[in-house]
Amino acid sequence: MKTLFRTTTWAAGLTLGLASMAAAEYTIGISNTVQGNGWREEMICAMKAQALVSGKVDSLNIAHRNTDAAGQSEDIRNLIEAGVDAIVVNPANPDGIADAVTEATEAGIVVVAVDQGVNADAAYVLSNNQEQYAYLGAKWLFEQIGGSGSVVYMRGAAGAAADDDRHKGFTRALEEYPDVSVAQEVFTGWQQDKGKQQILDYIATGIPFDGIWTSGIDNVIVDALVESDVDLVPVVGADNAGFVGQLASVEGLEGAAVTNPGSIGGAGVTLALRILDGETPEERVVLVDPALWANTDEAGKAKIAEAQNPDLDPEWPVSVQIDGWTDYSMEEIIACKGPGE
Amino acid sequence: MKALRKHGWITGLAVILALLFVATKLIQPTFGASGVESLARAALPFAFATVAQAVVVIAGGIDLSIASMMAVCSVTAAVLMEGNGGAASLGIVFLVLAMGAAMGALNGLLIVVTRVPDIVVTLAMLFVWEGVALLILNAPGGDAAEWMRGLIIGGLPIPGLGGVPRALVVLLIVVALVWVPIRRARVGLSIYAVGSDALAAFRSGVNVGRTRIVAYGLAGLFAAFGGLSLTLSTGIGEPIPGPYLLASVAAVVLGGVVLGGGKGGLLGPLIAVFILRLVRMDLTLLSVDPNVSAIIEGTIMVVVVMIGGLLAAKGKL
Repeated sequence: MKTLFRTTTWAAGLTLGLASMAAAEYTIGISNTVQGNGWREEMICAMKAQALVSGKVDSLNIAHRNTDAAGQSEDIRNLIEAGVDAIVVNPANPDGIADAVTEATEAGIVVVAVDQGVNADAAYVLSNNQEQYAYLGAKWLFEQIGGSGSVVYMRGAAGAAADDDRHKGFTRALEEYPDVSVAQEVFTGWQQDKGKQQILDYIATGIPFDGIWTSGIDNVIVDALVESDVDLVPVVGADNAGFVGQLASVEGLEGAAVTNPGSIGGAGVTLALRILDGETPEERVVLVDPALWANTDEAGKAKIAEAQNPDLDPEWPVSVQIDGWTDYSMEEIIACKGPGE
Repeated sequence: MKALRKHGWITGLAVILALLFVATKLIQPTFGASGVESLARAALPFAFATVAQAVVVIAGGIDLSIASMMAVCSVTAAVLMEGNGGAASLGIVFLVLAMGAAMGALNGLLIVVTRVPDIVVTLAMLFVWEGVALLILNAPGGDAAEWMRGLIIGGLPIPGLGGVPRALVVLLIVVALVWVPIRRARVGLSIYAVGSDALAAFRSGVNVGRTRIVAYGLAGLFAAFGGLSLTLSTGIGEPIPGPYLLASVAAVVLGGVVLGGGKGGLLGPLIAVFILRLVRMDLTLLSVDPNVSAIIEGTIMVVVVMIGGLLAAKGKL
């Protein structure tokens, strides 16, 4: 009986072991071209966490550095050489990496572009709608200042594709409000220190303004307004933890956070795994539309209250999950550990 | 043996490169012709940036605006080639090359005329050229002539060598066509003389100012080739400069060019570019943490340069 029990246990263990070995069968490559930015770091952590909880990823091969489209093409080609099964990429540019992506798909590798699209027919795209992101926030801001006045327009990085898309959305909203003008247009480079210095410089000029639109460098702008002891004006930012916290806590601040989930990276890993498992989606391009949470209406206040998370880095978006696409817990994404780490 | 000793640094670099190729093959047994071709294509803009920097450093200067000049040339080519993919694109290439040479010469002229240190002038010009690139194209875009893109993609069948990457062939031909005649002419000698000791060169009858302008003009020309290679490899122009400035300085140092000027050549820096790209490839193949990768790349460079320095001090190089 003892022998039978031991044999059964051994057989069960072996079966479970083989099953788990068979389950963790894929190698996923990741390519990202912006390092040291809160949003991108959350995206990478979402990718790692999703790969870990899926149980299907044996290892992640991450090419994560500050580079351009040519450098990203190099990284993608290196990932092809590494023999990965799928590549999840945040494109530096939709056209600039198209050749490398096509080479990957021709080599039988599943390619999923997240955050921004890529102009390669065989790739799948799971992207945040950047134009709509800017349009929603700008429209709310222009309404909030009564349809007339001047705003400070704090863009992202000059020459970046995402900034260009957002500029189209902002311009579209501006055309709908002919009495609104841009008092000052600056490029923050999506850097907190630079953005804060720029708004401090503008406040120092003494030229009045009625509102501020930011491309995600937001909490430091509110800090600058508070520290300078000037009248608070409506501010639009992203759903970053720091800014969402300010929307609930800074007295007299009117503002709106537009969602731009960095967790789209985790969703990209899920999509890649589904395709590898034979579940091909009907559409190659899926756009995730943003939502706006304003602290001036009840629905927005409720969303902002619900999203408060002091455990997150102030630069990290609070939308750490995307329903139906990500399965990790808050602790797992904050831990930022992938398979084998 | 004498030649090996004379070119000890380059020989050492060549051995490191060969060992790295062996290591790459061991890490990834499927690494072959396609991998080498990818490597050559990835190295092309870095190689041109490095050659540009090396010429200026040999002349005793440094150019911090190389990546920005590459961006200006890249976006200019991409904008002009949009809708002009045929024979006209050849004219565009010559125009962009002339523009690059003029930008570089302007850097040199400002340094010579104002007598402001090279590092200050080229730092200022870094921002100027960056702004110019954004004025020409405010977001990535434009196009590249398809037939021209084909010049750097794939392999070129050469008897006895198999398929040699076109990007490598283009690189070697361009560098040889531009540098070899200059190196052998009086101006080449003047570049080395000015870099070695500007006062001694002046007393020997060398026109120091003109030589420095020529060196910066040459750097601009090579930067233009780098910008063109970016446009051809991506099919677009990007106004934000890529990571080519620091990479070019790193490869120049690793390639055995003395930062004080007057010593070194272009072959060493070119081999160094391939070493640095191959290290990057190996780190990706090994799935090394990307944050650690940067540390490893920097450490390898420091160690190689330190060992080289020690050997040179002992007279073995």
